Amino acid sequence: MIKTDYPARQSRDPVCLRPDQITITVDAPVKIESVRSVRQPVVIVFAALIPALLTAAFHPRRPALSEEALPGEERLETVLGWGKTVLWIDARSAKEFNAVHVRAHFFSISKIGILCFRVSWNNGARRKESCLLQFDRMQVSHEVAERLKQSGISFVFVLKGGWEAWKSTK
Amino acid sequence: VEIHKVNATTPNGFRPVVLKPTGFLVRMLLGGLFVFAGATKVYDPGAFAIELQRYQLVPWIIGALLAIYLPWLEMFAGVLLLSKKTEWGALLVTTLLLFIFTSALASAMLRGLNIDCGCLGKTFAAIGTVLLLVRNLTLLGCTAVLWTKHRRLGLDSCGRAS
Repeated sequence: MIKTDYPARQSRDPVCLRPDQITITVDAPVKIESVRSVRQPVVIVFAALIPALLTAAFHPRRPALSEEALPGEERLETVLGWGKTVLWIDARSAKEFNAVHVRAHFFSISKIGILCFRVSWNNGARRKESCLLQFDRMQVSHEVAERLKQSGISFVFVLKGGWEAWKSTK
Repeated sequence: VEIHKVNATTPNGFRPVVLKPTGFLVRMLLGGLFVFAGATKVYDPGAFAIELQRYQLVPWIIGALLAIYLPWLEMFAGVLLLSKKTEWGALLVTTLLLFIFTSALASAMLRGLNIDCGCLGKTFAAIGTVLLLVRNLTLLGCTAVLWTKHRRLGLDSCGRAS
């Protein structure tokens, strides 16, 4: 708020004041300041929504909003449809593997060297053989899949949902 | 109109002469880094969504929405941090973002997840979770410098001396 105090007028004649005769007092507008403090971050948060909405609508590399398999992952139903051409690698820790695992076509991550050789051999013979990795820790599974791909094995996928997904079907 | 000059020394006796250039440099560094971080992720929000999913903190749908929104928020906050007028609001947003990122990283480390932060796209990928945590804590230290500057200079939300 701005208050302007003029010197007391002595008569009714028009007065011409010099600038130094006027005192302007500015009261600190506490409410307005606090509104300003909140306004800046709120404006930033809402302003970012506009391009984000455009990204969600038009960006060619936008993520799918429905839950779906990530790149390099396959759903269990799809994999089961491949039949016995699938080799499975259990990439959980040795302790978890020893506690419970599926015997047929399953290999512990500790035997991955032998498995890599076998899958490479099959790939070399142009036999369609898929290698699936399944585990609880998604990051580990993707890392192992990446290494296998680098070693020349083309059909490597990660089971979406990992061990829990496999257990849920049994 | 009589104009009263504002005393350049703060009530604590701390001279802004020292704080101003330091604050300016830190502001430029932090703002620039946020703009860069946002830009790398805006380019490929799909990849960032996957990075977020690896933290195993939120369901896919929330991760995907965050992957779309967060890079823009970072860029806006970074750009506005470069401007003196909007410094306060941008600093608040950057500090909150850094706090959330650091907490998520620390939580991933405690759960034994050795993940790439995803904070700067693929620029600093595979340098290890501990180093990423140190980097984030350093950036939080930078925000602390800017907050200290605000407090000592007694600046209000519009960057004016109060």
